[in-house]
Amino acid sequence: MNDAINFMNMEGLKFFGRVNASISHELKNILAIISETAGFSNDLTDLAKQGKELNLSLIESCNDSIAEEIQRGFTTIKQMNRFAHSVDVPIKDIDLLETLDLTIKLSSFLSFASHVRITNPGKEIKSVLTCPFLMQNLIYQILCFTYESVGPDGEVHLQINSEENGGIHLVFSSSGELVLEGFPNQNIQKTADILGVEFNIKTSSIEFDIWIPYASDKINLLSEEL
Amino acid sequence: MKVILVDDEQKFINMLAKRLAFRGIQADTVFSGEDAIQKIQHSDYDVAVLDIKMPGISGLELKKKLSSLAPELKFIFVTGHGAKNTLENDLIKKDIFLSKPLNIDTLIKIINEITKK
Repeated sequence: MNDAINFMNMEGLKFFGRVNASISHELKNILAIISETAGFSNDLTDLAKQGKELNLSLIESCNDSIAEEIQRGFTTIKQMNRFAHSVDVPIKDIDLLETLDLTIKLSSFLSFASHVRITNPGKEIKSVLTCPFLMQNLIYQILCFTYESVGPDGEVHLQINSEENGGIHLVFSSSGELVLEGFPNQNIQKTADILGVEFNIKTSSIEFDIWIPYASDKINLLSEEL
Repeated sequence: MKVILVDDEQKFINMLAKRLAFRGIQADTVFSGEDAIQKIQHSDYDVAVLDIKMPGISGLELKKKLSSLAPELKFIFVTGHGAKNTLENDLIKKDIFLSKPLNIDTLIKIINEITKK
């Protein structure tokens, strides 16, 4: 169990850093757009001071763009805040849909991210007793792997099937073939093992699935140690 | 003077192109590495301003491809990342590197300097 906790601490810190770096990149892009737009607005007013007619529709367009980017910034900060608070309680019941939603959004900041389409069962799914932060880490790693296989122009389809064998099945697929060589790698497998998550991989397939238990002895054991 | 701006942040380079145009520099915009490769085969540019991280191709890889098509082309890298030394590739240390948000006067000064050589 100590080995698992050491692994969680080491990999968790790496994951935390990686996600924060991608968020800072996103925020810098937002600020860069605001900065250029404000600069352009200043250029227009400088021209007006020199006697040129002020184009009000361009000024309006600048204001709208700045407002949109500020909203994008708020949304990003909200996601950053949700992510930061995912370490508050080491083991707890989570809404997997919420965890998936946040993790997909966080991974979308990566330059190689594909578009992700989720299909859920259309009914409420039972909560999962797990380590929220580690679960995010696992899903994030799996998404990164599929993004690299599918490419930035491709689409990853994520189907959620609940109520199967005491857990939830997540089926990952894409319109093309997923290159699954080397998947799951050592880190993904070890993370999954700690969480009691199982993989069902078919080599050279267009899909693979993971099974997430609603609760597991491994998580109960971990809960006692944390 | 003709510049090509390559970044997947479309609003950012569209606005930058307008500001450069105000200052007498013609700048075309493309939002992917593939489009940049296409564009450079049909038009002549003096400077390429490349985002370091773009979907599908890194700025560094794109530089190699564009250089083979246009050997005289000069490059400036732009990134949303914090510091130059966080970039993994030593090659980039020899290149010009600007961090977002940009200072338009600094960018123009650098464009003028590298095209004088």
